[in-house]
Amino acid sequence: MGGVSRNLVELVRRHHEQGAPTALEVLKEAMDRRGEITDDDRRVAAERSGLPEAAVYGVSTFYEDLLVPRGARHVRVCTGTACFAATGGAHVEAVEAALGVGLDQRSEDRSVSLAETVCLGYCHCGPAVRDGDTVDAGPGVLDRVLSDSARPAPEPRLTSLLAEPVLTRPGDWAGFTTARERDPSELLAAVKAADVRGRGGAGFPAGVKWEFASRAANPDKVIVANGDEGDPGSYIDKLLMEDNPHLLLEGMALAGHAVGARHGFIVTRSEYPRSKPALDAAIAQARAAGHLGEHFDVHVVEGGGSYVVGEETALLACLQGLRGTVSARPPFPAERGVHGHPTVVNNVETLCNIPFIAREGADAYRALSPNATPGSKLVCFNERFARPGAYEVPFGMTVRELCEDVAGGMDGPIKALQIGGPLGGILPGTRLDTVFDFEPLAAEGCMVGHGGIVGFDAHTDMRAVATHLLRFGANESCGKCFPCRIGLQRAHAMFATGAPIDRTSLEQLLEAVEIGSLCAHGGAVPAPIRSILAHWPEEL
Amino acid sequence: MITLTIDGDEVTVPPGTTILEAARGRDIPTLCFDERQAPFGACRVCLVAVEGSPKPLPSCTTPVREGMTVDTRDPTARRVAAAIVELVLSELPVAPAPHTELAQVARMLDVGEPRWPGETHAVERDERHPYLAFQHELCISCGRCVRACDEVQGTFALTATGRGFEANVAAGLDQGFRDSVCVSCGACADTCPTDAITEISLLDLVR
Amino acid sequence: MFDSSVTTTCGYCGVGCRLEAHTRNGKVATIAPALDGPANEGHTCLKGRFAHQFSRRRDRLTTPLIRENGELRIASWEEALHRVVSELTRIKAADGPDAIAGLASSRATNEDCYAMQRLMRAAIGTNNIDNCSRVCHSPTSFALRKSFGLSGATGSFADVDHAGAMILIGANPTEAHPVVGARIKQAVLRGLRLVTIDPRRIELSDYGELHLSPRPGTNAAVMLGLAHVLHRDGLTDPAFIAARTNGYDALLELLPQYTPEAVEEITGIPAADLVRAAHIYGEAATACLTWGLGVTEHRYGSEVVQLICNVALMTGNVGRPGSALLPLRGQNNVQGSSDMGALPDTFTAYRSVGDEPVARSFEAAWGVDLPRAKGYTIPQMFDAAVAGDLKAMYIFGEDVAQTDPNTAHVVAALESLEFLVCQDIFETETTKYADVILPASSFLEKAGTFTNAERRVQLVAPAIDPPGGARTDFDIITTLSRALGHEMGWASPSDTMDEIARLTPDWSGISYERLGRTGLQWPVAPDGTDSPILYTERFELPDGRAHFAALPYKAPGDAADDEFPLILVTGRRLQHYNAGTMTRRTGNVELNDRDYLEIHPDDAARLWVSDGDTVSIRSRQGRTEITAQVTERIEPGHVFTTFHFPETRTNLLIGNSMDVNTSCPEYKVIAVDVRPIGEEASMTPALSSA
Repeated sequence: MGGVSRNLVELVRRHHEQGAPTALEVLKEAMDRRGEITDDDRRVAAERSGLPEAAVYGVSTFYEDLLVPRGARHVRVCTGTACFAATGGAHVEAVEAALGVGLDQRSEDRSVSLAETVCLGYCHCGPAVRDGDTVDAGPGVLDRVLSDSARPAPEPRLTSLLAEPVLTRPGDWAGFTTARERDPSELLAAVKAADVRGRGGAGFPAGVKWEFASRAANPDKVIVANGDEGDPGSYIDKLLMEDNPHLLLEGMALAGHAVGARHGFIVTRSEYPRSKPALDAAIAQARAAGHLGEHFDVHVVEGGGSYVVGEETALLACLQGLRGTVSARPPFPAERGVHGHPTVVNNVETLCNIPFIAREGADAYRALSPNATPGSKLVCFNERFARPGAYEVPFGMTVRELCEDVAGGMDGPIKALQIGGPLGGILPGTRLDTVFDFEPLAAEGCMVGHGGIVGFDAHTDMRAVATHLLRFGANESCGKCFPCRIGLQRAHAMFATGAPIDRTSLEQLLEAVEIGSLCAHGGAVPAPIRSILAHWPEEL
Repeated sequence: MITLTIDGDEVTVPPGTTILEAARGRDIPTLCFDERQAPFGACRVCLVAVEGSPKPLPSCTTPVREGMTVDTRDPTARRVAAAIVELVLSELPVAPAPHTELAQVARMLDVGEPRWPGETHAVERDERHPYLAFQHELCISCGRCVRACDEVQGTFALTATGRGFEANVAAGLDQGFRDSVCVSCGACADTCPTDAITEISLLDLVR
Repeated sequence: MFDSSVTTTCGYCGVGCRLEAHTRNGKVATIAPALDGPANEGHTCLKGRFAHQFSRRRDRLTTPLIRENGELRIASWEEALHRVVSELTRIKAADGPDAIAGLASSRATNEDCYAMQRLMRAAIGTNNIDNCSRVCHSPTSFALRKSFGLSGATGSFADVDHAGAMILIGANPTEAHPVVGARIKQAVLRGLRLVTIDPRRIELSDYGELHLSPRPGTNAAVMLGLAHVLHRDGLTDPAFIAARTNGYDALLELLPQYTPEAVEEITGIPAADLVRAAHIYGEAATACLTWGLGVTEHRYGSEVVQLICNVALMTGNVGRPGSALLPLRGQNNVQGSSDMGALPDTFTAYRSVGDEPVARSFEAAWGVDLPRAKGYTIPQMFDAAVAGDLKAMYIFGEDVAQTDPNTAHVVAALESLEFLVCQDIFETETTKYADVILPASSFLEKAGTFTNAERRVQLVAPAIDPPGGARTDFDIITTLSRALGHEMGWASPSDTMDEIARLTPDWSGISYERLGRTGLQWPVAPDGTDSPILYTERFELPDGRAHFAALPYKAPGDAADDEFPLILVTGRRLQHYNAGTMTRRTGNVELNDRDYLEIHPDDAARLWVSDGDTVSIRSRQGRTEITAQVTERIEPGHVFTTFHFPETRTNLLIGNSMDVNTSCPEYKVIAVDVRPIGEEASMTPALSSA
């Protein structure tokens, strides 16, 4: 029940067991090779993957990477929130003008094409533009794009404020080496006692998920690392996957041990082209060292360009090469997930917390943030701040401390902050003394989310921010449920006209979208809009 | 067996039953539900209030629990359901024919003039098949036709396409019924709540 | 929106979908599947759902027609019936009642068929009555009665949902029984382990676990091979065999020679695959056997069905949920027409015409003396006609000139008759030889019952009236009988069913009221309890035990040779039904407008045939032309075609080989030669492999 076709999953499972690729993989290959997808490509994808032709057609119309025909030079401009905050959105038109081609278009002579992408993970030095596979960002990026001389942008820095870093400590497999000699139930108990809350946004206790899966009757269990959360403004997962892949792999292996799973997948974003190669290299090393192998092995699957695929049921659909639409739950992935098997889906950062627990125990983990949510959190800041980058912090600091002491504040007052991603409420600059933790932020209509913090300066037009967020929400809607599919388009249209907003009408619409939506995408898009309505009504 | 209370009445059903199934006969509106298919959870029109839940829940995909208390007429649930149906009506270029499920549900929820009018679906018609007509502009992406072709007939000739507001349905590689692997069983037409897919011979009823 | 709506039962195939027919202005506007149909559960196929326009086509027969000087002219009912009565009376007086034969329509209702056999027996005085099960599942009927006792599926379609494994042999349900095909496919995707056995790969083969491609005509060897492996590998149920069967020892003596290797020699199936198939079936807790005309329409078809029964008995896979034998009956009422005794050797429920107590019960009910000797089967009718012994035939709802084998012989027979009366809804290949044509009704225009392939008797209700001057078959037959001097005394088909119930113990509990919306599966006890599963306690044979059959493999009636190097198999496609009488007059022709000859690319290449070419196809019996379709579904050495379009005259190619016990024609093994049009025989390159 609920959504993903059991029959299609069964067909995918049968073909997967024969070593077949997914339809999405075959389509992406065709796109990478020739810059466009034809019906013949779809037929080949159907034959090779075992998916019916119609289903393949549906996949080919869903993922962004498959939609825009590519020229010899394919440029992708980031339209994420941090890049928006950097330029007010002006860089998009500038790139269109520089290249002489409109968004989602290809030039007549097929020499160049331009697509939008959200987000490239260079929020610390936006705006960012991806030219082929080179991501350039920061001052002068538009000139370099114009002169076809894009160079790789500087990578963000990750610093830990903790005396004993959890997430910046390079993965060394020490935790796994110990834990695998012990009964899985010990590790499971430790993770439950540590009360590790999901770091992807939902905050769901990881230990509860693991326990459920470990009890499932079906012995073929799967661990899936969600590296596809893709919040504009957050580059946390990118850093972890690319700079500390062994920490993630160790976390997955530990999850596998606790749950009784022998297979693992990491779903990465195609917007982060370096993630999969980095992980693949680390996997090869881990196999050689005997950490991964028959007892537990990991495969990396790259997504096709979709934000909503960060939702766990959509993620699993994408992993199996299907359309990335959301499924109702139950059944939960822990009961029926990848190929119909019990599946644990955890965010990358969540899994990176596990090696510490395996090594040091639940009490040490809880002690990291006394009187607050246990463990540590990565937060990251956009280029508006003096010291943009990612930081490992304990829960319980105030937002002010994070923005001013850690990130060095902005040039001028902070007008507003969006915390946790594009679905997070917006905190006005007057409320910076709010404690950075799940409940205190929720009380302000905001959230921890994935921990990305996008700051808006005094020049920011809040109506433009609302319009930007609604456009993003409508574009990324998977299209399955009615309130989100239609409601977000209508809400965006209300703002895009430029006419004064009818608050009552908007609030009624937001209520229907928030309450009616199938998942947290539609369910949470109203939150930042309500923040803007509450704190900056005059700008609407 | 599980006992719960629906609108004040005690109801006993086997475990695994959904609230919608347990509430059979109580007139909960639905658009994406068809008893011949697994529940899908797309329309969100079947919302009911469940004690203890901060938000109304979709009755078609929520299994009952012992002691659950359900109110199928909860004002918030009905208000949101009506708003959703209003949104659906607003995306169609023409009103749905009176006999369609969509029109019936709109009447049942007493849906009024659209508060949020806007862009409607582009008119796109396929009438090359001897029996089946597809009027894409009437499609509300409820998924029932795709699921009928998947879960009932097993031919897999249909798919959802696109994303967000552009979502629609296509046969084969967008070839139309006739040139796809469709076996013309008509299960899609039978389940379609808006007559986006309908019999060619009945088109005069729709237009 | 609609003027009226009725729930009825589909008149196409043996699935028996329940349908809601909605009308406007006296025509069927649309048909939808009934959600509570037990066989179809809210689903149906393009035939039941859409192919109803034939009912109002302009070429429907709407008036009686009489042939004068070679031309047909319109006549009144009075005149036409008078002509029929006087001719039949004359012939009966001159040459005896056995000079007259009747053919009941398997598309017509139980009541129509019962009336027909009563007319032939009571009004005419002969047992020369048969129906088209002769040419499809008569071998099944024979074999099931011999092995288990009753002539019908041992379970229901629902057993598909409860089976752990299934062997599907000689059937292509996704095309010929689409709703059951869909049900099987869904079960397979949920985990049902399916083995398909067919010279061609069928659609279900792509979903199933294993496909076996035996040479046409070698099914017996396949079944014996499976039995061999089941026994060898300890997959049998000795307790069941001991308690509920007879004759196992004789079978055991036969099995040793059917090793997988020996079977591979005969059938071409790799030995390892045969072993795998046996294990898939034998290891399941519940397993079904499903078959179609690919099993029956053979020289030893009835023996193969007995061998199929053997396999079920060896493993105890009969008489319980999930373990059923499901012959997929073709016509919507082929089960029923035989149940009704429209057969030369039985009354209702397959009780012999020579059985004294039974015969006397009918004599008492009908007030006449009845003959005890068996009558002619259909093939015997044609032979007798050509020989001059059969002078007249009354055929309703059957187009023998298109569907029966050896068309040339059929035509010769029809031409030899002194008098032929046809009762049908359209002019057909057969009515070309009729002296009188009576316009009759389709399933949409009559009341009665059909019995589907799971023995389910379901109500048929008229949605519209017969067009013009056409009448219901019930009306015509009872009126004719009255005019011949035998009053049947029924006001409506419901009365007929009451009589059937009175005279037939297995039907005693059936009444229209009890049939309701979901029908009843016979046997139905007097209190109305019906039988979804047969043989739960005992088999319907004198000692209550099932009988094994020790029957060795024998070669089919035809074989490929240098002159005719390919083997032709005939069958059906999704969009059309058999002779296409109804479906060719609907929008279905837009989806499929001709018969195609499926031919493997290797054979096509050797013969210089391209996809879409018109080719000549020749057998020992005859020659015709057809469009080629090159496909890898068929194995090299075999070709496949259908018989939906009269222009193709497919059955010209079929000879006289038929089942040894039932005379069911061997439609499935015909040696043929295929070549592009215009080419001389000497130019055909020799095929390099056998």
